[in-house]
Amino acid sequence: MIPFKYNVRNLRVRWKTTLMTVVGTALLVASSCILFGLVEGLEHSLKVSGDPLDLIILRKGATAETTGGFEGKKADELLTLGGILRDADGPVGAKELLNIAVAERNAKTFNNLIIRGVQPASRKLRPDFKIVAGRDFEPGKGECIVSRSIARLYKGGQVGGQLVFGEKEKYRVVGVFTAGGSSAESEVWADLKDVERNTGRDGSVSCVQIRAADPKAFDQLRKDIEDGTQFRLAAIPESTYFAGQSESSLFLKGAGTLIAVLLTFGAMFAAANTMFSAVKSRTREIGTMRALGFSRGDVLFCFLGESVLLSLLGGALGLLATLPMSFLSIETSNFNTFASVTINFRFGPLVMAVALIMTLVMGLFGGMIPALRAVRLEVISALREL
Amino acid sequence: MKYLTYILRNARRNPVRTGLTVASTAICLFLMMILLSFFAMNEEATKASRAYNRIIVMNANGFAGMVPVARVRQVAAMDGVAAATAFSWYGGKYQNERALFAQFAADADSVFDVLDEFKVPPDQLADFKANKDGAVIGRKLAQDLKLKVGDSLPLQGDIYPVDLKLNVRGIYDGSSRSDLRMCIFHYEYLDELLKQVSMASSGGSLATSSSQRSGNAGMVFVKCKAADSTAPLCRKIDDEYRSTEFPTRTQTEEAFGQMFSEMLGDLKDTIYWIGGAVVISLLFVAGNAMAMAMRERTTEVAVLKAIGFTKGLVLLLVLSEAVLVAGFGGALGSLGCKALCEAVDMSQFTGGMLPFFYVPWNTALIGLGVSFFVGLASGLAPAALAANASVIDGLRKVV
Repeated sequence: MIPFKYNVRNLRVRWKTTLMTVVGTALLVASSCILFGLVEGLEHSLKVSGDPLDLIILRKGATAETTGGFEGKKADELLTLGGILRDADGPVGAKELLNIAVAERNAKTFNNLIIRGVQPASRKLRPDFKIVAGRDFEPGKGECIVSRSIARLYKGGQVGGQLVFGEKEKYRVVGVFTAGGSSAESEVWADLKDVERNTGRDGSVSCVQIRAADPKAFDQLRKDIEDGTQFRLAAIPESTYFAGQSESSLFLKGAGTLIAVLLTFGAMFAAANTMFSAVKSRTREIGTMRALGFSRGDVLFCFLGESVLLSLLGGALGLLATLPMSFLSIETSNFNTFASVTINFRFGPLVMAVALIMTLVMGLFGGMIPALRAVRLEVISALREL
Repeated sequence: MKYLTYILRNARRNPVRTGLTVASTAICLFLMMILLSFFAMNEEATKASRAYNRIIVMNANGFAGMVPVARVRQVAAMDGVAAATAFSWYGGKYQNERALFAQFAADADSVFDVLDEFKVPPDQLADFKANKDGAVIGRKLAQDLKLKVGDSLPLQGDIYPVDLKLNVRGIYDGSSRSDLRMCIFHYEYLDELLKQVSMASSGGSLATSSSQRSGNAGMVFVKCKAADSTAPLCRKIDDEYRSTEFPTRTQTEEAFGQMFSEMLGDLKDTIYWIGGAVVISLLFVAGNAMAMAMRERTTEVAVLKAIGFTKGLVLLLVLSEAVLVAGFGGALGSLGCKALCEAVDMSQFTGGMLPFFYVPWNTALIGLGVSFFVGLASGLAPAALAANASVIDGLRKVV
């Protein structure tokens, strides 16, 4: 077998070509990784759920909190049900009311924000709810707390500012919160009573969220709420609910895959180009190696190895370039709800798989034809080459 | 021009290398066309909507707010208004799945006067107007769902707590660059069903409780008689309702479309950054190939200069070769993408996200421009090196 050192040295000797190819492919790998990192971030935010015992209760037939409203009276009765987990403050369950309204960004562009009217228990129902700046709002004072990206992007979104949604709906921002990367991090939270008053929607809720005391109570609650003549509402396990919501990431995922595939092909040709000239300029060397007794397989393996090494360098550099992206978050719209959604870049298995697959495909397929050409060389004529 | 043959010969000398460079340029440009078209096309379609002299009235608070249906009549009666219709987003499910097409409740009598770029056969239109449960759908939607006139089209309410049993009464057609995937049905049909639902049972948030009940027009689409009356009408309508319970935000259809593209937010920038990275990486790929080509030709360049070719001419020859190769790849990628999108309706693969897709001419031209730039920039270093190479060294060197 031809020592691997030989390939490393070769890449070093023609370092300019190597560098150009590596930087070129690194950029392509990085582009795809960024896209997939965003897809992964979006899926994460839509899948995070607080607890396996959490239930979201909506009007029957509705598929989302934004559309699934019902009477507040029913909601109050729901919260008195037996199987709900209770702690020192009462049942772990909350009525929530959502409104979607236009807000202006600092950049003078507009987007729709979700304003969620919450009750104290709403915080316990979200994973890792934490105030990271300022303080939590006090009920009834027209105050709100916002996610980090809203604080950064929206006019009046900073602590001390005021978010204005038309004449009647205004909230003073008193704090910034995080919620374990869940979809709540795209929302404005205010007191339920304030939202009810501001939107003129006393007596109705968008959803009720509850946590069951134990798995048995969980099943019983679902049955009571869905089939009981009293309610006839949809009680959806939170994980199921969010899995359904993640449909909206499918388009982005499809687009990302298309882009990654095309870029892989582009980079594959670049790698092939480099390897072709590597083979060509080393014709005589290949002849010598064959004359020394290395087999055709050895030569094939050697050139494929060099090609894979070349693209691995590119892939590694590309992945490295995505590291600072962990701080990247972008704001766009979820076109299922027409409301703002914040996507945090997530460096996870999906991103690494994309980088690895792109790299291997580039290296193996890009190097295959040049390597085969090297194998087919006639020993005598190769040695005769200048 | 007399050197063109020489340049072409050079470009063809190593067909594999040239082929690979052309292929990688073409693929990257193809991708760039798709990304750029996504925005350019929306912008073009938005701008084109100016021709229809339409304005759109919505609640000042956004889609969620209410516009009382009585205003449709009031607005229609204003000076300079040709026609007006309610246009209420239903957003229901089809066959128990989230429907990937837009459904609007509109005034059957006026909707196709307002959206007059869409053509419905007169008999179908009359049939639609006469039947409360009638619906008119776009030609592409009919193809997607394999529906024809006379078929039923049941929709389940998602935003609204009522289900619709619609029947297809007509199929509209129009330019392939417009939304041929809408379903339009009678506003009265939805409104009457809503009246039967107890008021308290509503309360979702795409609509406020008041707007979920009957009487909400959703939006009002207004056709103006002349182009110069659109802006004053917008102001007039907003002034009219400023101090009512439901203030409005009225804008031209163009501004309305822009609002949607603003909603994309940072995604737009991200896509542009990726496009930029692709161009830069192309520079490396094409530059590398050109550099390799020049290295092989060191002796030849020396001979050229020895027989009297000037530095400038050598520079020009090498640069032209680089531009030619990259330009050919770019033309293949950008024009090929345009041709492909004209021939195949790409929008059917977007799961309803895009009602239509095409590559606008100016985007294709940008693609060509980018590939010329890539050729120039990637050829610059090898060309300068070749132009400045020493004749003696070059002749002495054995490659």
